[in-house]
Parts: sequence; structure tokens; C-alpha cells
Amino acid sequence: MDFLGFLVTQCLNALSQAALLFFLGVGLTLIFGIMRIVNFAHGAFFMLGAYVGYSAVYVTGSFWAALIAAPLLVGAFGAIFELGILRSLYKRDHSAFLMVTFGLTLIMGEAIRLLWGVAALDVPTPKSLSGIVFILDEPFPIYRLFLIGAGIVVAIAIWQFLERTRLGLLIRATSQNAEMVHALGTDVRLVRSAVFGIGCGLAGIGGVFAAPLVTASLGMAPNAVIDTFVIVIIGGMGSFAGSLIGALLVAFVQVFGTYYFPDLALALMYLLMLTVLVIRPGGLLGKEA
Amino acid sequence: MTIKGTSLLLLPVCLLAIAPAGLPPYAMTLLTEALILGLFAMSLDLMVGYTRLLSFGHAAAYGLGAYAVGNLLLHTAIPLVFAIPLAALFSGIVAIGVAWVCTLASGVSFSMLTLAFAQLLYAVAFKWIAVTGASDGLAGIPRSPGPFGITFFQSRSGFYYLVLACLLAAFLFCRSLVQSPFGAVLRGIRENEAKTLSLGYNTRRYKIAVVAISFTLGGLAGALYAPFAGFTNTELLFWLFSGQVLIMVIVGGAGTLIGPIIGAAFFMLVSNLLSSWTDSWALFFGAIFILFVLFAPQGIWGLATRWRSLSSTG
Repeated sequence: MDFLGFLVTQCLNALSQAALLFFLGVGLTLIFGIMRIVNFAHGAFFMLGAYVGYSAVYVTGSFWAALIAAPLLVGAFGAIFELGILRSLYKRDHSAFLMVTFGLTLIMGEAIRLLWGVAALDVPTPKSLSGIVFILDEPFPIYRLFLIGAGIVVAIAIWQFLERTRLGLLIRATSQNAEMVHALGTDVRLVRSAVFGIGCGLAGIGGVFAAPLVTASLGMAPNAVIDTFVIVIIGGMGSFAGSLIGALLVAFVQVFGTYYFPDLALALMYLLMLTVLVIRPGGLLGKEA
Repeated sequence: MTIKGTSLLLLPVCLLAIAPAGLPPYAMTLLTEALILGLFAMSLDLMVGYTRLLSFGHAAAYGLGAYAVGNLLLHTAIPLVFAIPLAALFSGIVAIGVAWVCTLASGVSFSMLTLAFAQLLYAVAFKWIAVTGASDGLAGIPRSPGPFGITFFQSRSGFYYLVLACLLAAFLFCRSLVQSPFGAVLRGIRENEAKTLSLGYNTRRYKIAVVAISFTLGGLAGALYAPFAGFTNTELLFWLFSGQVLIMVIVGGAGTLIGPIIGAAFFMLVSNLLSSWTDSWALFFGAIFILFVLFAPQGIWGLATRWRSLSSTG
């Protein structure tokens, strides 16, 4: 086997994995950056995205429709949850959020089981993206290339959104000094609801993207939430660039770890996190925790 | 408070002591399991309620104890009553390493590290067939007799008394612990860690110590469960179980020691009632949990004591 070809395809593999992880990590870090809360239900929103995506594909027959419908629905659900329940908790300490979103995870997991059943659901890869290409004589699925592209597009879109738009400006300002933004006449509570919705929507879109690769299943939520937290802890809570770097690092460790040390792959991820925590307790790009 | 507290304790302990005489076997089994879970929840309370170290991976303690005792009882001739404390100790020793790592972070990161560690153990349990039996688990765990040929703990009620004694001893230990200077430092960490640190206490060392104690007692609960049920499986290490025990602590009343025991009993009772007409316990417990966090963060025991103090003054 050609080593260069192997190396290139594995790297591409890792990049596509990083794209998926980035959808999760960036949502969580956005929510944390602005609200100082940790959304334990992030994995459950990711899972909900995959299931809603399945249903959307089933009803409309179009993967692209699912890609639009799922984040909107999941994001709306997230925003409603913030409005209805989380909003009353801002005066409490952070453990209250963690516990409430944990309860939500239980409820969502069970509700999804009741609505969609126990069996894993297969979401077909869209026709235009199925099949493989040969890169240096190594076969590589087109869908994974598409994921890399989607990851890059979404990363640039979020970055531009935060830098160039009015809402992006408000989000950055609120994460710096919420009281001042409030005093200047912006309803910070609305900004928070919006950010929570956007973060959950990003998890939802990640779920749709992941569904053709891993099938929609009930085990998604805990795995996703752990991966996400590892990314965000490595990158630094609340840092946009940190979530990108964290996703890349974790993806490369996962892909190459699974290949070279299949029994230790999981441990390697935690080892990476541990190393980062020892060197920089606040994460690579985070402020000191 | 201490004398009054002890006398208050006497009634439920007496009731529990005579329970085997009056209860049918099925109820005894449930009660034994409730006491084991109560011990488990109380062990978590040391971390969650007294030190505000929110662990999402406490199932690790239970699983470590259960698998350790399972291996001891299956592969050696060590009597039950020695195997159980040995397994608990094992869990506590492992916890020192875990805590050393997890306390590098604080707050949310700490919670996530505990979860990651427990999931890591869960993954290991799936792979390490020789020790854990993988997804089949360990089956046929005996209640080995001895020493001196004592077979009392092999019977249903004998084992129940063993569990009750462990719970009572653990409770008295925890109560004196939280009332000691050590406990005062833990509460200091809970209220304001920076201040406690600046008063000259090495807070990280205290946190590692409390995690180790908590894991020892949690391991004790797991070590009681394995010979009680006769088997272990990977469910005991799964994150859902960590969540369940956290719910018991919060719903019962964190930071009260008694509360989590009541929470565990409440959990057993309600899940048994629910399971007769639905298997979606998670749906209801998720909702009950959220309602408690929102409206009654002090838990059942907190509500009860507040009601009592209100009715005694008014």
C-alpha cells in the first residue's frame, strides 16, 4: 500500500471528523461564552438533529431539506427551552444549569425512544454525494469530502457572522460585559435566547451531517457530549478558534489512534485532554479557569 | 443537635432493624437494594453537597467496588465480610489517582472529567473480558462464608443486616466527618474556594481526600450490590447510573447526608410504581429532577426540615 496515499486519505478522514466535531464544539462554546453556562444537553440536541433529519429525509425525500429543517426545529426547541426554563436560573450557580440540562438529556433521550423507537435509523447518503473518488489510488468517500467543505463553509460563516453582523457584535459585547450591553439599551435576555437557539441549531445540523455516517441511534447523545466537552476543554471554554483547534486535535487523535492503537483510541483522547489541562488549565486559547 | 439528632435517628434504625420480621421476601429485597443505593447516594453527597464537586461519573465508584468484590469472591476463598471492605478500599485507592487528575480542573471541567473517566472505565469493562466478563458481566457471585464458618450473611435477612450495619456505620462516619475541622474546610471550599485557599488550606489536597473517601463509600455500596444481586454488568458503570444517583442526591436534599438516603428510597419506590405501567422512567425522573432543581433545590429533606421549623415556631 502506498504510504503517502494512506496518509493523505487518513488526514482527510480526520478533517471530515473534525468538521462534525466542530459543529458540536462551536455551539457549546458560543453558549458558554455568552451565558457562562454549560449545556449538558448538547449531545441530546445533536441526537435530536439526527432523528429530525431522518424524518425530514423520510417525508421530503431530500437530504437538503433535512439540512435546513433540522437545525431550525432543533434551534427553535433550544430557544424555547431557554425562554421557558433556563431563564429563571441565571441568578443561581452554574451547577443548577448543569443539572437542569442533564434532566433535559434524560427526557429527550426517552422522548426520542418513544417517538422513533429503539432501532438505529439509517439515513441514506444523498445520491449526488454517494460513491467514492480515488485520491493517490486510495478510495475515499465523496460524502466525507463534502463534510470537510461544509465544515469550512460553516466555520467561515460563523466567523463572519460574529465579526460583521449586528447580532454578532451584540453577542461579542455580551460575552465581554453583559450588564453594560443591557444598560446601553439592548435586551440581553433576547441575545441569550438567540445564542442558545443558534448553538443548539448548530448541534442539530451536526446531527444531520453525522446521520449518514453513523446512523441515528440512542447512543449518540452521551458519546457526542463527551467528545464535545473534550474539544471545548482542550480549546478553551468560550473561544471560537479554540473549538476549531480542539476539534482538529481530537479528530486527528481519534482517527490515527483508532488505526494504530485500536484498543487505546479512547484513552488517547483523554490523555490529550489531560496533557492540555496540565499545561494550561484553562485550555489552549481560554482564559485561566 | 448531636444528641437530638442521634435520638431522632433511633426510631428509623429500630424500624429498619425489625423490618425482616414483618416484611415479605419481595419487599425485603427491595428494601435491601434501597439501603445499598442510599449508601451510594450518601457517598456522593460528600462531594456534591458538602464540597460542591459535581460528579457526573460516580457510577465509577460503584462499578469498581462491584467488579472488585466479584473477582475476589469468584476467584479466591476470601470470606464475604472481608472481600467487601477490600473492594471498597480498592475503589478508594483508584479514586486518589482519578481525583488527582480531575482536580486539575474546577467547576464544569471537573464534572466533565469525572464523566469522561467513568465512560473510560465503561469502555474498558467492555474490552477486558478476563476481569469483567465484557457485556455478559460476572455471574454467580457467591456470598462466601466465614471467617470461622459464619454463614449468617448468606441468608436474605442476614445480608440485609450486613447492609444496614454498613449504611449505619457509614452514616455515623460521614456525620462526624462533616462536623470535624476537615468538614469545615470542605464547606469552605463549597462556599468560596479562593478564600479557603488564601487562609492557607491546600484545597486541592482536601478535594482529593474527599473524592477518595466518597469513592471508598461508593465502592462499599457497589461491593454490597454484587453479592446481593449475584451478578455485575456494565450497566453499573454507565453514565445513566451516575445520573440516577445524582438525581437521588438532589431530590433527597444535597448536603444533609440523610436526604440522599431518602432520595434513594424515593427513587426506588417511584421507579417500582412507575415500572408497573410504563418503562419510561427516565422521562418522569428527568421531569421530577428539573422541577426539584427549579423549585425545591433543597430537596425533600430540606423541605421537611423547613416545614418542621416553620410549624414549631408558628
